[in-house]
Amino acid sequence: MDVRLQISMVFHLDKCIGCHTCSVACKNVWTDRKGAEYMWWNNVETKPGTGYPTSWEDQGKYHGGWEQKNGQPDLKMGGRVLRVLNIFHNPYLPKLDDYYEPWTYKYEDLFNAPEGADQPTARPVSMVTGQPMEIEAGPNWDDDLGGSPIYAANDPNLEALTPQQREELFEIERLVFFYLPRICNHCLNAACVAACPSGAIYKRGEDGVVLINQDKCRGWRMCVTACPYKKTFYNWSTGKSEKCILCFPRLETGQAPACFHSCVGRIRYLGALLYDAEQMLPAMAVSDDKLVEAQREMILDPFDREVQAAALKNGIDAAAIEAAQRSPVYKYVKDWKLALPLHPEFRTLPMLFYVPPLLPVMAKNEDGLYDASGKELFSPIEKARLPIEYMASLFSAGNNDLVRYALKKQYAVRLFKRMETVGDIEHATVKRALEQVEMTEEEAESIYRLTSLPTVDDRYVIPPSHREEAMQMLNDDMLAEKGMAGLGFRELPVRGA
Amino acid sequence: MKLDITPEVLTMRLICTAAAAVLFSAPAFAQQPSAAAGVFEKRCYSCHNIGGGDKKGPDLKGVTTRQSTEWLREFIKAPAAVNRKGDSVATGLFKKFAPEVMPDQDLADEQIDAIIGMIDGLTKKNEAFVPAGAKLNRPIAPGDVEAGYQLFTGRAALSGGGSACISCHNVSGSGRLGGGTLGPDLSAVNVRYKDPELISILQNPNFPTMKSIFGTRPLNDEEIVKLFAYFQNAKLVAPIAPAPAASAAVRIEPWFVALGFAALLMSLALMNRAWKGRLRGVREELVRRNQ
Repeated sequence: MDVRLQISMVFHLDKCIGCHTCSVACKNVWTDRKGAEYMWWNNVETKPGTGYPTSWEDQGKYHGGWEQKNGQPDLKMGGRVLRVLNIFHNPYLPKLDDYYEPWTYKYEDLFNAPEGADQPTARPVSMVTGQPMEIEAGPNWDDDLGGSPIYAANDPNLEALTPQQREELFEIERLVFFYLPRICNHCLNAACVAACPSGAIYKRGEDGVVLINQDKCRGWRMCVTACPYKKTFYNWSTGKSEKCILCFPRLETGQAPACFHSCVGRIRYLGALLYDAEQMLPAMAVSDDKLVEAQREMILDPFDREVQAAALKNGIDAAAIEAAQRSPVYKYVKDWKLALPLHPEFRTLPMLFYVPPLLPVMAKNEDGLYDASGKELFSPIEKARLPIEYMASLFSAGNNDLVRYALKKQYAVRLFKRMETVGDIEHATVKRALEQVEMTEEEAESIYRLTSLPTVDDRYVIPPSHREEAMQMLNDDMLAEKGMAGLGFRELPVRGA
Repeated sequence: MKLDITPEVLTMRLICTAAAAVLFSAPAFAQQPSAAAGVFEKRCYSCHNIGGGDKKGPDLKGVTTRQSTEWLREFIKAPAAVNRKGDSVATGLFKKFAPEVMPDQDLADEQIDAIIGMIDGLTKKNEAFVPAGAKLNRPIAPGDVEAGYQLFTGRAALSGGGSACISCHNVSGSGRLGGGTLGPDLSAVNVRYKDPELISILQNPNFPTMKSIFGTRPLNDEEIVKLFAYFQNAKLVAPIAPAPAASAAVRIEPWFVALGFAALLMSLALMNRAWKGRLRGVREELVRRNQ
C-alpha cells in the first residue's frame, strides 16, 4: 500500500444556480493579466452545451487524455515518437476562436467623444490586438442554452441518446438544462504531466495539486492537447502555459480556494482523500463501465488502522489524516456514493467529483395544457427530463446504474425530509425509497445536513499545510534555502527564459 | 598565498617611478617631435591622416585652428562622452563617420599636447604626416603573394598566434565559402588605403576589435610583407573571381529560382499531408455547418 494524500473536491450540481461568481472570483485573482485574458481556470457551462473551449469533450477532435494500448496506458495524442515528431507543430491545439477572443470596450469614448447627433457608444476592442472587433463568441456563449441549434445540439454527450430522446430534449416546454462548473481536476494520473517535454508540470507530493513550474515551462503546449478537460492554457504573452493552482497560497493558509470561497449556492466541498497509488495502473486498465468503481476502490478508509499506519510511514502527518476523516468529499464519494467524476473515460482519474442534479419535473404538458398541479411533488427518476443516459455519459462513462443510484438516493432523501417537515408522504413510501438504495434514516439525515445546512467548516476541511515538511522532502539543507524562498518568482515568467 | 611583491621591491619600484616621472616630464616630451610622431603612428594613424585625406576618421590637418586645445584634449580622452553632452562639433563628426565610434584614448595629457603640437606644426608648414616606421623591411618577392594567401586563409599559422584574417575578413576568391563578415571586405583594400597606411595597419591595427586580438599577438615583419603582397595582388591568386563592386548583384539563374520555388511547394505539400488530421477550428466549423 502506497498511501498518498489528495486535496479533492465535490461540486453539488443540484445546488448550482449558474451565477458565474466562481469564474469571476478566479478571473479577478489569477487571470486578469496580459496573455491570460482568454483563460478561465474556473468556468461554468450549461449542459447540454459544447462548453469552453467549444466541444472540449470531443476527444476525436482534441486527442486529450489516456487510452489503453496493448494493456498499457498511453496518451491519446500519440506515443513518444509521434510527440517528438509533432513537437514543433502540435496539430491538435484549440484555436483562440475555440476559446474566444477576449475583448473589452472603449469606455473612454463615452466621455471623450465630440458632441454629435448620436449617443456615443463604447465599441468592443480585442484585448489581444487592441483593434475593434465583432464579438462572435464568449467563454459562456451558450449559457442557458443560448444558440442551441449550434451549441447544445452538438453536445458530444448527446450521442449516448436515441434520436427520439434527443428530439424530446429540445421540445418546447420540455427544454432542460443544468450547470456544470469546471476547474482543473487535479487528476491522479494527469495527462498534462505525462505529456510535458520539459518536465515543468508536477503533482505536488503533499496535497496532489498539479502545478506548472514557470521557470521550466518552454511553451511546447503539449499539456494543452493532453489535458482532456482543456484546463491548461497557453499564455501568449509570457510564452508559458498556466493552469488552475487550486489557490494553493490560500490552501496553505487554511482558506478555501477563491472559487469555493465565493460560491453563492455553496455547492462546493473540499477535503482530503487518502488513496493507494499502487492501484493506479490497474484502475486505469479496467473497462469503461468499471472505471468509477475502480477509482472509488483506490480511495482508502482514513479510519482504517492499517491505512493510518501506512500513511504515517509515507510522511503524511497525523493532522492530515484527521482532516481526511472529517472530509466531506470522502462522505460524498465513498460513503454515500453520491458524487461521480466527470468523464472518467478520459482515464486521468480526476479528483473533482460531481453530485448529478436531480432536476425534478414540476409540471407536465398534457393535451397541450401546461399542468403544474401534479399529484406527486417529485416525479420518479425514470421520468427525469434529462435522460439517465446523458448523465451517465458525463459522469460514469456510460454506466447508468451509478447515476441512477445517486439520483435515487437524493430522491429518497427528499421524500424523507418531506415526510418529516410537511408530512404529506406515507412512511411506507419513504421506507421503500430508502430501501431501494439501502440507506438508513440516519444516513438520509446526514446527507440532508451536509447538503442543505453545512457550515463553512463542514464544507471545507483543509488539512494543515506543513510547508516546512514539504520543503524538507526536497532539500535536507534548509539553511541553504534560507531567505531564498517565499518571495514569489525570482524571475518573472517571460519568453525565452 | 605567497605575495611576490616584498616591501623592498615595492620601495625600489616607487623610487624608479619617481625618477622616471622627473626624467620624462612634459617639456622633455614636447621637445621631441619624433616621440609624438611615434605615438601618433601607433595610436592614431590607423584611422586618421594629417593632410592625407579622411580614413575611418577625419583628416586632422587644421584641426588645431578649428578647435581649442581644451576641446581637443577632452574629445581625445572621451569622444563618446563629448558626443553625449550634445557638443555640436562632436555630434556632427559622429554622424559623418557613423557607424565608427572613436574609442576613448588613455593617453597622458603630455602625450596629447605633444600630438596637438605636431598637428599644429604640420598644418602651419602645410605638410602631410609621413609615418616613419610604415615601411616593408624587404622588397616583395615573387612567392610572397602565394605565401600571403596561405597566411590570410589560415593554411599557414601566424607566428604571434593571432587568428587568421579570413576569420573576420573576406577577400574575393579567398575560399569557396568566402571569408568572415565581421570585419570589412578587404578585396580592394589596396585602393582604399595608401601603401604606408596599409603597412601601418598591419603593424599596429588600432581598431578596437583587431587591437584586442593583435595587440598582444602582433604580426612579424615577414608576415607583413607577405600579407601586403597578397592584398596588392589578391586578383592574381584567384583570377576567376572578379572583385565585386559595391553595387554589383550576384547573378542568379532563373532555373535555380524555379527549383527553389518547386522545392518549397513540395515541402509545403508534404507537410500538409503529414498533418492532414490537424485541428482547423472547432467552433467555426459548428457555426458554418449550422448556416
